[in-house]
Amino acid sequence: MKTNYNLCLVGALLGSQIAFSQIIEFDPVTDEMLANPPLGEWLSWRGNQNSWGYSPLDQINSNNVNQLQLVWSWAFDDTGAGQAAPLIHNGVIFIPGPRGVVQALDAANGDLVWEYRPGITASIDDTDRSSSIEELGDAAMPATGYAGVGRGVQKNIAIFDELIYMATENASIVAIDARTGLLVWETQTADPALGYYYTAGPIIANGVLVTGITGCDRYKDDVCFITGHDPLSGEELWRFATVAAPGTPGGDTWGDLALRFRAGADSWQAGSYDPEKNLVYYGTAQAKPWARAVRGTDGDALYTNSTLALNPNTGELNWYYQHLPGETHDMDEVFETVLIDVDGRESIFKMGKLAILWQLDRETGELIKATDMGYQTILNVNPTSGNITYRDGMIPRIGQQIDMCPSTSGFKSWRAMAYSPQTKALYIPITLNCELATFGPTEQVLGGGGTGPVRRTNYPHPDSGGNLGELLVLDVPSAEVKWRYRQRAPINTAALTTAGNLVFVGDWNRYMYAFDAETGEKLWQTRVTTSAQGFPISYMVDDRQYVALPVGVGGASWSGMLPRELTPELSRPRNGNSIYVFALPE
Amino acid sequence: MIEINVNKTARLCLLLKLFLLQSIGYAQSSSSIGDGIYTVAQAERGAEQYAARCASCHSADLRGNSNSPSLRGMAFMFIWEGKSVGELYTKMSAEMPTDQPGGLLSNNYADILAFILRTNEFPSGNQELSPNEIDLNQIIISSN
Repeated sequence: MKTNYNLCLVGALLGSQIAFSQIIEFDPVTDEMLANPPLGEWLSWRGNQNSWGYSPLDQINSNNVNQLQLVWSWAFDDTGAGQAAPLIHNGVIFIPGPRGVVQALDAANGDLVWEYRPGITASIDDTDRSSSIEELGDAAMPATGYAGVGRGVQKNIAIFDELIYMATENASIVAIDARTGLLVWETQTADPALGYYYTAGPIIANGVLVTGITGCDRYKDDVCFITGHDPLSGEELWRFATVAAPGTPGGDTWGDLALRFRAGADSWQAGSYDPEKNLVYYGTAQAKPWARAVRGTDGDALYTNSTLALNPNTGELNWYYQHLPGETHDMDEVFETVLIDVDGRESIFKMGKLAILWQLDRETGELIKATDMGYQTILNVNPTSGNITYRDGMIPRIGQQIDMCPSTSGFKSWRAMAYSPQTKALYIPITLNCELATFGPTEQVLGGGGTGPVRRTNYPHPDSGGNLGELLVLDVPSAEVKWRYRQRAPINTAALTTAGNLVFVGDWNRYMYAFDAETGEKLWQTRVTTSAQGFPISYMVDDRQYVALPVGVGGASWSGMLPRELTPELSRPRNGNSIYVFALPE
Repeated sequence: MIEINVNKTARLCLLLKLFLLQSIGYAQSSSSIGDGIYTVAQAERGAEQYAARCASCHSADLRGNSNSPSLRGMAFMFIWEGKSVGELYTKMSAEMPTDQPGGLLSNNYADILAFILRTNEFPSGNQELSPNEIDLNQIIISSN
C-alpha cells in the first residue's frame, strides 16, 4: 500500500517541539459521500445514514470466512469503558477511545498516524481551550474510577469535511483536524457539574452536527436536549428540549410537576438521517426517576421513550412517536433507529429493552406494526395501534416487589442491531434476564432525584435454558424469527452484516463469531484478550477487505452485573480495551 | 477426617484473628449504629479515598447516576435499612471499585464506609470502625 501519511513537525509551526504524523491524501467528506459512502469506507457510526450496520463488501464471505486471520491489533486507553465505533476514510481508521481520546491509524497495518488527547494535544491555532476543574465537575474525577461502569465512554464519532467530531464526558462537543488530530474548536453545551455528559457522539445531517446529551437524571433547573451545531465554527444553531416544559405543547403530560422535577429523556445513542426528507431520527430514554410512584406523576411524560423526527437545520420537531407513555420500569427505548424501505413504505425499525420491534412510517411517525417477541412480562401491546396496557399488578408501588422480565438491564441495549438487504433480516443482540424488583423513593429536591433506588435480584429468563446471550434474527417486515442463536455468555457487541452473507458479533466471554446470515450456521470464531465490546465494522484498503472488532472493559449491566451474578463461572480481565483487525490470507 | 481438620484450622484462625484485632486496639463492642462506630478523623480519611476511587461513578455528592446507586439519603436507606454494616462492607470490599474489585486495603474500605455513614448522619464516636466482618455483621443499619 502507498503510505498515506507522513511525519512532520507540525508542532514546530506552533512554537512547540511536538512531532505529528499527518494524513497527506485526504478527501474532504461531503454530504453526498455520507449519503452514498464510497465502497470500502465506513463514514457513519453504523456504516450508512440508515444505521444498517451493513457492509456491501463480499470478498470475505460464507465460503472463506473460516480462513480469517489476524492482521493487526491495537490497544487503546483503559481509562474508561471501551465501546468504540470506528470510522474509515482514505485508508485510515479513526478510533474513539475513552475520555475523549481519538486515534488515527493506518487501516491496513495498524501504524499510528496521530492521536488527540484532551488537554494535551495542541490546538490548531495554538490557543488553550482546556476546561478548568470547576467547569469539569464530576468529569474532573480521577481516571481510575471511570473504568468501572458507564463513565468515560465515547461510543461514536463523526467525520465531515476535514474534521472529526466527538462529544465528551465533560459535556463538550469537540472538532479536531482529521489530517493531524489537532484541536480546532470545542464548545461546552451544559454544566457537567449538574451531571450532564455525553456517551454518544454526533452525526452529520445536511451539513449540521446533531448531538444528543445524557446525564439528565438529577433534579435541576434545566432538562435534557439535542443540539444542532455549525460544523465549521461550533456555533450552536438550535436546541430541542426533550422534556416538555409546563405551558408548552405536551407540557401537561407531567402532571403538576415543576420543570425542575421533570428528568430523563436522555439521548445516549446516536441517531439516523434521511437526506430525502431532511429529517434526523433520534431516540430518547425513559423518564427519571424510573417508577411513576417515585417521580410523582402517572402522566405520559413527553418526550421520554420516544422516537423524534427533527429538521436538522432548524431543530423543529416534525413528529414524535412515544413508544411507552408513562413508562415505569426503566424500560429504555433510546436505541438506534434503523431506516428501511419495505415495499415502498419508508419505515423505521426500532427495538427497546422490552424486545418489542416497532415499525414506524418515517414520513408521518405513524405506527405500522408493533411485534412483541414474547419475552417480556410487563405489558400488552396492540400490534396495530401500538397502544400499551400494563398487566395486572405490574405498575410498581414504592416498596412492593414485582417479578418482571426483563430486568432493568433490558433484553436490548446499546449493542445495535444490524440489517442485511441481502437476507432482508435484522440481527439483534439480546440478553435474556429477569428481576425481582422493588422500587424505592428519592428526595424531591434540587440535586436529588436520579433513577430512584431498586432492590433487585436478577435471575435467568425461564425460557432461556440458562443462557444469557442471544442473537435474534427477524425477517423484515414480517418480524418472524428467521433463526436465533443462544449461548451462556451475553452477546456484547453491536451486530455487523456484510454482503458476504455474514453476520459478525462478539461476546462477553472473549469470543468473536461469524455466522452464515441466512442459516445461522457458525462459520468462524476466535478468542481475544477481553470481552468483545463495541461496534464491529468492515472496510477495504487496496482491494483487501478487513473486519475490525473492538473489545473492551467496563460498562454497566450486561457487561458487569449480569455476568457477575448469572454466569459466575465466566470471567474476563480487568484491562484490555483494544481493536482486532482480520482479513483473508494474502 | 479432612473436614474436622479444616474446621479446627478455621476455629484456630478465627481465635487468632479475634485476638489480634483486640490486641491492636479495634474494639467494635458497640452493637448499634447509633452508638458511634467510627471517628470523624476516619470519615475524613474516607472522604479522600472516596473522591479518588468512588466519586467518578457514585458522584462527588454520593447521589450516584444511572449506572451507580446513590449512597445517601432515602435511596441509600431504602437499599440498606435492616441490613448489617458487615454486609455493606462485604459488598464494597468484594465488588468495588468495579474496575478493580477488592483492590483497596481493608482499612481504606473501612474508612470509606465511615465516610458513607457520616454522610448519612449516623453519629461518630471515639473508636474507629474496624474492617472486621464478624463484628460489623452484628451492627444493623437502622434509622431508628
